Amino acid sequence: MRTVLAFMAGTLWLLSSSSAQKLPWQNSSSAANAANQQLVHFLYPQQVTFPAGKPQTIDLHFRIAGGLHINSHTPRQKGLIATNLAEVEPSGVKITAVDFPAGSEFAFPADPATKLSIYSGEFVLKMHIVAQAGNHLVQGVLRYQACDNSTCFPPRTVPVPIDVIAK
Amino acid sequence: MIAALALMIAAGVMNYRQRRREEQARNQAVQMRLVPTNGDATAGTVDDTNQGDSIAANEAAYTSPLNGKQAPSFTLQDLSGKQVSLSSYKGRPLIVDFWATWCEPCKVEIPWFEKLHDQYAKDGLEILGVSTDDLDRGDPAKLFTQKRDISEFVTRMHMNYPILLSAESVEDQYHIDATPTTFFIDRNGRIVASTVGLASRDEIEADIRKAIGGANS
Repeated sequence: MRTVLAFMAGTLWLLSSSSAQKLPWQNSSSAANAANQQLVHFLYPQQVTFPAGKPQTIDLHFRIAGGLHINSHTPRQKGLIATNLAEVEPSGVKITAVDFPAGSEFAFPADPATKLSIYSGEFVLKMHIVAQAGNHLVQGVLRYQACDNSTCFPPRTVPVPIDVIAK
Repeated sequence: MIAALALMIAAGVMNYRQRRREEQARNQAVQMRLVPTNGDATAGTVDDTNQGDSIAANEAAYTSPLNGKQAPSFTLQDLSGKQVSLSSYKGRPLIVDFWATWCEPCKVEIPWFEKLHDQYAKDGLEILGVSTDDLDRGDPAKLFTQKRDISEFVTRMHMNYPILLSAESVEDQYHIDATPTTFFIDRNGRIVASTVGLASRDEIEADIRKAIGGANS
């Protein structure tokens, strides 16, 4: 019995170790790992409740991964990708505007003369909304492009789903 | 039989320990990569710690899995629509630089490449800039605008070397996850050095010398 158990254990070890072998195309670089991760997270709210038919403002909270920044909604340099929010309005919901905060001034250490407008840490968007009575799912998508002090990552999107309950 | 089983178990344990060490090293690399310099009071997760200097250090320490290997072959379109193959550069030292118009650190590096291109022209140095800007190939109007934007950038930056339009397959082959990413290729088509993120001009020049086959190679 002990032999059988030992055999099974040994086989399991070997299987687990062989399955964990790194394959040639599995890039373990930190940049690759970062590239596969979401660099901006939608924090909250996931659900809001407010009176039907009355204009409301919802604060949407986001956090940017540490050490990174993203362009603000109004980048200063031509060609930079602005942070934007696209929303799908379900029937019975009207999004009248989204306010973006002003960016902070930033310059890459290697190019201190070029001033950029960025967000870092946490930031809040203000969504102005009116909804008819009922439950609605507002599906937004935040598009951003992140960099650290020497590297930039391709533009990405993060889903912003909000369950809207209007009473 | 018992000896064989014991051997198998021992091998399994050794492999497991090795795997754990690799995992730990990899996790440490991720932490170093994603966290920044100046402390953010909101930091609460691994991704949000502040170690910007570590990021730079980690990027500097990054070694492409392609280093020492033959550069993967590719054929890409240039801005005029002409097909350009890597193989046509064999026999010459070559820099392949993946960049984008939205990449500010790339704008720091590009003027250095222009000057170094001139400086090492006598050694046959060639540079290929590969734009990783998104292209809507299925939408002719958008594609036209996107190519025009790249062309304008190239003109504005006075880029004096061929600019190619990237393809996902090529970015996969070269493990391009961020820009700038630069490969230094010798006359035999072998990648002798690579950098991810903005490197110093001195580092770039040292890597060019490796590609040329001069000092420090």
